Amino acid sequence: MSVRPPPRVLVLRCPGLCEPGVFERVIAVLTRFCPAVEAVEPGVCAFGARGPARYFGGETVLAGKIIAAMADIGVEGRIGIADGLFAALLAARPVTGRPVTVVPPGGTAEFLAPQPVSVLMDQGQDQDLAGLLHRLGLRTLGDLAAFSVADVASRFGDAGEAAHRLARGGSRPLAVRPPAEDLSVAQEFDPPETRSEPVVFAAKALAERMLSGLAARGLTCVRVQVLASWADGRESSRRWRHDGVLSAAGVADRVRWQLDGHQAADGHPGPAGPAADDRTTTGGIVLLRLVPDQVVRATGHQLALWGETAVSDRVARAAMRVQAMLGPEAVLRPLTGGGRDAREQVTHVPFGEKGEPSRSGGQPWPGRIMGPAPGLVYPENREARVTDEAGRAVTVTGRCIVSAPPAALAVDGGPSRPVIGWAGPWPLSERWWDPAAARRRARFQLETDDGRAWLASVQDGRWQVEAAYW
Amino acid sequence: MLSQAGEPTPGPTLGSAWISPSAGGILTVLPALRDLLPRGGLARGSVVAIAEFGLLCLALAAGASADGAWCAIAGVPEVGLLAAVGLGLDADRTLVVPDPGLSWPQVVASLLDGCELVLLRPPSRAPVAVQRRLEATLRRAGGVLLVAGEWPGAHLCLRVSRQWWTGLGDGHGRLRACRAEVTADGRGEAARTRTRWLWLPAEDGMVAAVDPADLPPAEAPDAGDPPRLQAVGAG
Repeated sequence: MSVRPPPRVLVLRCPGLCEPGVFERVIAVLTRFCPAVEAVEPGVCAFGARGPARYFGGETVLAGKIIAAMADIGVEGRIGIADGLFAALLAARPVTGRPVTVVPPGGTAEFLAPQPVSVLMDQGQDQDLAGLLHRLGLRTLGDLAAFSVADVASRFGDAGEAAHRLARGGSRPLAVRPPAEDLSVAQEFDPPETRSEPVVFAAKALAERMLSGLAARGLTCVRVQVLASWADGRESSRRWRHDGVLSAAGVADRVRWQLDGHQAADGHPGPAGPAADDRTTTGGIVLLRLVPDQVVRATGHQLALWGETAVSDRVARAAMRVQAMLGPEAVLRPLTGGGRDAREQVTHVPFGEKGEPSRSGGQPWPGRIMGPAPGLVYPENREARVTDEAGRAVTVTGRCIVSAPPAALAVDGGPSRPVIGWAGPWPLSERWWDPAAARRRARFQLETDDGRAWLASVQDGRWQVEAAYW
Repeated sequence: MLSQAGEPTPGPTLGSAWISPSAGGILTVLPALRDLLPRGGLARGSVVAIAEFGLLCLALAAGASADGAWCAIAGVPEVGLLAAVGLGLDADRTLVVPDPGLSWPQVVASLLDGCELVLLRPPSRAPVAVQRRLEATLRRAGGVLLVAGEWPGAHLCLRVSRQWWTGLGDGHGRLRACRAEVTADGRGEAARTRTRWLWLPAEDGMVAAVDPADLPPAEAPDAGDPPRLQAVGAG
């Protein structure tokens, strides 16, 4: 079976370059050589090399020009040119040692044959498959390519077939993105607008323009960035979750909240709730810009039938108003998961973001304190002093032997209260394999004479209160 | 959805321009807490003050949350959500604003617009005018404001006057359950002081009324000395 040779592809790999801002600049420079560039993954982009190479006078010359252009913006990159994306990606790998590797047309099979099968892993192929092939004695892509596609497919399924196709020099076509269009919209206010109402009104029209511009291209955005500039040079920039479901009025609402929040943060505490409409902003707003952030293809929006608590508009509005005042991290949704501490069993996710509990639930988590959960879990441990009858600090040895029964507890340097009941020590040695996160503690439950109970722990001879029960 | 109260008396406070569909109703509370509240629930539009943040605040919020209400917890970074979930709070319908900052009245007003129940520990003492404005927002939105701390003019005040735990020995055992004497008083229909002994929490993490038989004579209400653990016997 013969595979039609794929088109010539140039891959630019900039190692260790994952910041989106810098990568955008790299792509912007590349579009001077070819307008249709695919961003394969952060730090790696590709384009069809045939046309540009002919225009600039050969593939090596083109690669040299790109390397020079990258050096101008302070980026070091490696270039691989080959038939097909897969071979070009391999050619651009740093192991080759040269900044530019050109695999001549038709030489792809020869280039691929000695490559180890482990390179398949880098290409999003099944990790298990690469390991399996290796254990079966198929060490190189050439070994794999020597089999017929039917043999490979019958034994290794779809993943095997895909790997076989890559080994034979086949590759997927490039998914180039259209040249980055500026889909943002902006309006200037001259003279500066001192009231927020006209700005919000203008925002609605702007949002309609932006959304129709996106819709005309079959696109949508994950977030909308709202930028406002005041005459005195102050700026406010905030990203709002959009997910393709926000109407123009919804965007205008967020602009209003952002402006309100900016004023609130500026030291106009006072009124609760929407106060007088005629308040003025210092200097007035001169520019309002809406920028679609993370533009993606619009695929429609499907709400989950089960398992996703629908956040009503009313709640979302309230939460976002507060986020506009205090920042997105200020409004959190709790997720309960597993863990040994009361603290680590709850993960907080900013409202509007999706998250997972940091420790998975449904597992036993040995060493967890049984019984009722504490009503107060301090974000930071509070210093404590635990003393025995004689007023000496209670100590715990490495073998968990308590020097004397705890008789008094003082939290944060406060008054000392008699301890009327205690239990412990419960040793807990966590993450000993990771020196940075390793902790070795002995925990106690203490009840003081006012009927309150505390979860205290000793670590390195220091008593701390982690949580309280009342 | 939220249940309506048996007594649909809107009260004089609900004469504002917009009355929520459920105005005059109550937010459900856990069954064990009904006895403590004059209407058997948290009256919408009212402020309920609890002397100190603790399980009692969470228990008051849990019933409404389990019944479908959205809850916001503002100004309490140390809230023990695991205990709250154990009491019945639905974490999926909970917003947490650990630090509402200096403009907390505005934050609370915004939260009241979206959530039926807001549990607040004010970071600072609010001027009376700000309090009144928040109360107006509260009546308009038809929610309930639970304040952990002082709130002059609160409709209802609750506090845990005494409590003691069972399960802890002298170097052995573990905390199992807590008996708490909860006192409620307030203005108007809540003027009569009510006192109840509750398991807060019970062994299963929930709230339950304490059977008087579980209160030895020495520990019964109006006993002089604070209870000692040793006297409880069967823990």
